[in-house]
Order: sequence, then C-alpha cells, then structure tokens
Amino acid sequence: MTESRRLSLILAAAVLALAAIFAGPYVLDTYSVNVLTRSLLYAAVALTVDLLWGYLGILTFGQSVFFACGAYAAGLVFTHMDFTPGNAALALALGIGAAVFTAAIVGWLAFWHGASALYASVITLVLPIVATQLLYSGGTFTGSSSGLSGFTSFDLSTEAWFWLAGSFLVAMTTLAYIFVQSDAGRLLVAVRENEQRCKYLGLNTSRLKIRVYLACAVIGAVAGYIYAAYAMVVAPELAGFVFGTELVIWTALGGRGTLLGPVFGALIVDYESAQLSGNFPFIWQLIIGTVFVLVIVAFPRGLLPMVFDLPRRLLGLVRPRGDVARPARVALATLATLDAAQTQGAEVGNGPALAVTGVAKRFGSLTVLDGIDFKARAGELVSLVGPNGAGKTTLMRCIADGAERSAGTIIVNGHDIGSRPPEACVAFGVGRKFQMANVFETLTVAECLQIARARHARPSLWRRANILPLPEAAMHVIATTGLDRQLSTPAHLLSHGLKQALELSMVLALEPRVLLLDEPTAGLTKTERMQIGAILIDLTKKQGLCVLLVEHDLDFVREISSRVIVLHQGRIVLDGSVEEVVASELVKQVYAGSGHAGIAHETAPKTGGQEVPA
Amino acid sequence: MITPHVDTHHAPALEVAGLSSGYAGAVVVREVSLAIGAGEILAVLGKNGMGKSTLLKAMMGFLPKMAGSVTIAGTAATRLSPHRVARLGVGYVAQEKALFQDLTVEENLKLAVRGPDFAAALAEVEASFPFLLQRLKQRAGTLSGGEQKMLLMARSLATGARLLLVDEITEGLQPSVIDRLAGVIRSARERHGTTMLLVEQHLPFALAVADRWAVLDRGEIAEAGASSEPDARARVLKHLSV
Repeated sequence: MTESRRLSLILAAAVLALAAIFAGPYVLDTYSVNVLTRSLLYAAVALTVDLLWGYLGILTFGQSVFFACGAYAAGLVFTHMDFTPGNAALALALGIGAAVFTAAIVGWLAFWHGASALYASVITLVLPIVATQLLYSGGTFTGSSSGLSGFTSFDLSTEAWFWLAGSFLVAMTTLAYIFVQSDAGRLLVAVRENEQRCKYLGLNTSRLKIRVYLACAVIGAVAGYIYAAYAMVVAPELAGFVFGTELVIWTALGGRGTLLGPVFGALIVDYESAQLSGNFPFIWQLIIGTVFVLVIVAFPRGLLPMVFDLPRRLLGLVRPRGDVARPARVALATLATLDAAQTQGAEVGNGPALAVTGVAKRFGSLTVLDGIDFKARAGELVSLVGPNGAGKTTLMRCIADGAERSAGTIIVNGHDIGSRPPEACVAFGVGRKFQMANVFETLTVAECLQIARARHARPSLWRRANILPLPEAAMHVIATTGLDRQLSTPAHLLSHGLKQALELSMVLALEPRVLLLDEPTAGLTKTERMQIGAILIDLTKKQGLCVLLVEHDLDFVREISSRVIVLHQGRIVLDGSVEEVVASELVKQVYAGSGHAGIAHETAPKTGGQEVPA
Repeated sequence: MITPHVDTHHAPALEVAGLSSGYAGAVVVREVSLAIGAGEILAVLGKNGMGKSTLLKAMMGFLPKMAGSVTIAGTAATRLSPHRVARLGVGYVAQEKALFQDLTVEENLKLAVRGPDFAAALAEVEASFPFLLQRLKQRAGTLSGGEQKMLLMARSLATGARLLLVDEITEGLQPSVIDRLAGVIRSARERHGTTMLLVEQHLPFALAVADRWAVLDRGEIAEAGASSEPDARARVLKHLSV
C-alpha cells in the first residue's frame, strides 16, 4: 500500500466517523445524546491514556487532572468574570496553560534521566490527589467540594454540543492514529520496548516522553474545557484519582495500544454505566465490575484485539515459514560514501579519537578497573583481550556513559564526556554494541534500523518513509548475514546470531567515530565472522574509525587488529602490536587455551560409530 | 533419523520423532527425528537461524509442537509443560537470560539444586569452576558475561540432571576456559553418565566433546555422523560456509 493510499484510507474512515456523529442526534433520544456528549469527551482523554500507556509504556493515573485544568479554567473564568467571547478565549488559553505548566513539572519529575517507570506511575498517582486537595481548599473561589455551577456559557443546542464533542474526538483520534503509525510513532514503541538501547542510539528519550506528555495534557485540557462549557458545572471529582483510574480501566478493557479500543471502551462503559445506574441504582457497579473481570480474564489484551483476532482464531491456521517473509514496506538504500573528513561528527582535530586517563570503577569495596590509561587514534583497531571478568565490558560501559566510572577522565574526539548520559556520548561520536544482543524485540528488522537512523534523519510525525538510507558499512553487514531478506521479520523471531548482526548494523547506522564492540560476532559462524572482520578493517583503514573490540577468538583478533591491549584483574598489563601480545608468555598463561587442536587431541576417539543417514 | 550408538537395553535418554515446531505463523523446525543413548553426547551444528535453539525450546515445552513426539528415558514428554520436563531430570542451559541476575551466585545454585544435599552440589561446582566458590555472595548480575556462562554450566551440572540440553555455552568464553569446559563435560559424563545435547557454533569444541554430530539446515537434519570420523570436520564445514 502506498503512503498516500494509506493516508486517504485513514481520512476516509475519519469522514465516515464524522458522518456517524452527525447522524447521532437524529437517531438517538435526547437522554442518550446528553450522556454520550460527556462520553465522547471522556473518550478523548482515554485516548491520551492509551498514547502514554499503550504506546510509550507509562502507566498514568493522573490524566484526569488535565481534564480538570480545562474544565476549571472555564468554570472559574465564567463564574468570576463575565461570559464574553474574549473571556471564553482567555479561559481556553488559561486551561491549556495550566495543563502545560503542570505537565511540564510532572514530566520533568517523572522522566528525568534515570527515573524508573514505576516512579513515573507513582507521581501520576499523587498528582490527582494533590489536585483534588487544592480544589477542596479553594473556598468560595473554587467552590470547594461542591464545585462551581450556574455560570453562563456558550448558547448552543444539545445537538451542537454533541457534534462539537464528536468532531473533537474524531479529529484527535485521527491525528493520534496517523502519528502512531508514522516513523516518529514507532519511536514511542521503541522507547517502551528498550529505553536503554534508544539512549545508546543517541535519542533523548526523556525529552521525547515529556513532549508526548505535554501534547496529551493539551488534549485533556481542551476536552475538559468543552465539557465545562457544555455541562455548566464543574466538581473536584473531575480532577480525582477515581476518574483517573477509570480512564486506565477503559483503556485496558478496550485494548491498550490500539487507540480505537480505548475510545470505544470509554464510550461503551461510560454510556452503559449511565443507563445501568438509572435502571439498577443499587447493583450497577457490581455488574460493571463483573463484566470488567470477565473481559480481562477471557481477553487479556482487551476487546478490540479480540474482535480483530476472531477470524484468525476461527481459521486457526499456521502459515508455513515462507509467508513470514512478507515483502518489506521499506527498501534499503546505501548512503553516498563520505570521506572521513566529511563524515558527521568528524571534528577530530589532531588529538586522539579516544583518550582514557586514570579511569577506575569500584562497586563498593570491589575494584573492577583501576588506573586505566590509554589513547587510541582514528584508524586504529584496538582489541581488548583478557580473561573472563577482567573488566573489559566495564571499560566499554565507562566510555559510553559518563555516569559509570568512579574516577578518571575520558575524552572522545576532543570532548570530555564528564558525567554526561549515553545519548550525549553518542553525539560525540561513540557507538556501542552490547555483549548480549540488544535490539527492539517487537519491532521488525527494518523498524529497528529506522530507529537507529532517527538521530540523523528526523522522523516524520505523520508519514512513513519507504526508503531507508543506511551507511555502506551497515549495508555490508546486512547483506553478509542475509538480514536484508528478513526486513519485515520481528526481531524476537531472529536467531541469536542474526540479532547480534542486527545490533551491529544499528550501531553502524549511527556513523560513529569511536566504535565500541563487545563480542560483535558471538553466535556467528566462522565464515560470517571473517566477513564482518573485513568490514571492520575497511571501516578503520578507509573511513578512519577508531574501533575498540572485545573478542575471545585470538585468530580473529590476530587477523584484524592493529593493536592489542590486555586487561587482567582490572589493570592494563600489556599494550602492543598483535605479534608482541599474542606471543607473550602472559597471554599464554592467563588467557589462551591449548588451542583448538589441543582439545581435539585430548579426546580419545569414540567407539566406532557408523554414519547414519539423517 | 539419527539412532543412538551407545546401545543399551534401555530406552534411549532422548528420542525425538518427526518433531515440527516454531512461532506463530512460522514453522522453524521441520520433522526432526533423533535419538541419544544414555551417556551419549550429540552436537547439533548449523548456521544461524536454522532452528537449533528452537529445537531445544520445543523439546523443553517452551514452544508448541505442531507435530511429532518427544520421549525422555521412555516417558512421553510431548505434551508436558517445561517444569514437568525438568522434573524428568532434564536440564536446559539457555542462551539468554538464564540466571537470576539479582540473586547471588549461591542463591542461583540453591534454586536449581532442589534436593537437601547442597554440599554435594558445591563439591560438583568445585570440580567444574572452583572460582565460583569464592564468589558465592556476589550478585550473579555483577559477574562478567563469561563468568555468568560458567556459573550457568556449573549450576546445570550440580543439579544432577540426567539429560542436559545446552545452547551455545562457549559463546563469550576465553579459549583456556573453553578447554577447561571440554574437560568438565567429559568428566561429568564419565562420573555420572550424563547425556547431553550441545547446540554449538564452536566447531573444534563440538567435535572434540561430542560422540556424534548433526547439522541442522532450514529446520531439517541435513547430515549427521560420528565425531571420530576423519572427514567429520570437512563434512560439517560444507554446511556452515555460505
């Protein structure tokens, strides 16, 4: 499906939804129209809960507060000042302003570098409790526990309010839908999936979360403003923890991470609650509660995914493997090769690409690294060898994240990394591949690569690119390992070795100047290793990268390194050319084995078995 | 079909017949049949993505079986959930996320060794990777990548499992440790008669330790043989090169 066709389909669906909204008052009774106007506005807030929880992975109980910001801005202005068009605009501006202000403070508190997801949820839980208390203690100004009512508002008919609320919901849902499917929207899922990897791809995830949070606050405030202007009553419950939690329940019930699910979840539950509370005033909450438990037990992913899954379940077919390799939506392209001098981030100057001075790392009384000093130039491929537990991975971690080391300085391309976070180190030219393959498990291979390029090419907020330009080195790794035939395969289905290759290509897509590779070829066959070795040699010799490599295969090290540093018990014990180091007694003693032939030799031939055909 | 060489009068330690498995919508392992005699070591080799790890996960019951059967020491294990398979004396040494990162080395061992005789388990650890005994109070997550692999292997051997399914244990290990590991595995087999299925990328190690080998290609067994045959290495390599 082409990009314009996809967007036209979404817009066509939106037009259909608008038509349904328009027809609403003609087919529904007045009572239903009244109730649904409120439900439509609640649904818009449920939409923001889904964006935050379903896509970004932040479970939030505090979206009610932003709704109340908009509602109380209208209530306060219309009560304490005259209702004029100017004041109506002022109230809207105040409502949005209050929501943005609150969201900025909460966002900063909840999403600063290093805050955990649980911490964010706790803060959003506290928020409505504080907000309700403030409204209670506002005396006659906020109307305390009884709220504000009896103020003048826009003179619109019941139908008009329904249309306004409906159109607002359709517009927000459409925008949100286009956004989550866009390239930028994939970033949300990537952050939820593996925030650490995002940071090491140079993405400022805290800023991204705060921006989305602010946008959601604005949507909530506008919905609240419309609600107050329509209902002409505001109460502290609008800011409350109960409403905030109901929004989460509707989202879970409808199916989180689907946008439409939470919208319908909110509409159905709120509307049905109103009906039931009229017909069964004493047990309606029990009925709603029971239905909720049943749905969660039977359809843990929510109602909407269940509806979509139904045909698949009924057919119950397992497709053969060939079908998984769907044609990829994205085509890869090779970026024009740049000279070392032109390459991004290449303000190398005359200094070394990497200078490590006096670096130490202690965990309590345990010293893992001590007095590490070395410099590496652009164009050098330095292998870091040493026994398991010598501190190799710890050293890599200290170079890629300023907050990791206990002492010493690290200078990358002339920049002192200080105590800066990983995304800042990436901006200085550091690229780190982890020891255990670290990719976005639920995203496809193509999406993983796109996210790796997000730092270079700002992803569109509404479009999906169909060409993904990658640097030559990344393309080489992809072609060598056959990843290009699996672009639409979700990463969690890749074999261990292919995940390693994918992560390596993602890191190369960053176009780093200092490349940190922790066992990049673990899990690959010898042939694939040698091909990747050739790519690494090319990167250092032709493009002037500085590569720091942790590797156990001494043959591989000998083949590709220009220099070897031996780490033993947290200290550098040898630093020299490949020949010097590999031939040294020390390496033979503490590190190398008897050699492969050695193992084979030790083994007594097994009892004579004949070959049995497979 | 690969049949066991160490022919006892008992049922083979592991018998897999016509096993197909995979993930939603994708068949990754196709009609694999193999049998391993008690005390025998089989190395499963093959390129990336050919279904080696999937085969182990399916045998353990972590993935649904689309066809075929798995029999462990004569007991049908096709429909058993992973913890029941483990109770048949099967140890699974997974490639990723196999240790409890926030527990200490000692706690990791204690959780795996379910019997009362922890001292015997520690003796077993001493025989394999004694450095772990000095690190008993250290959190497993703070061990280096290679040390974690050693703990993983030591832990599985200490459980006294009759059958070990081992997924790429040599990954990230320094050469001298790989040598030691080869000795550890052979000694475990000699002392306890442990049967093993090793999924490996490290060909010299695999051929040195295993009695027999099988190459998996696109989910099927492409070729199999005995490690002692002089052309074994060449025959395996034929499948591994692109």
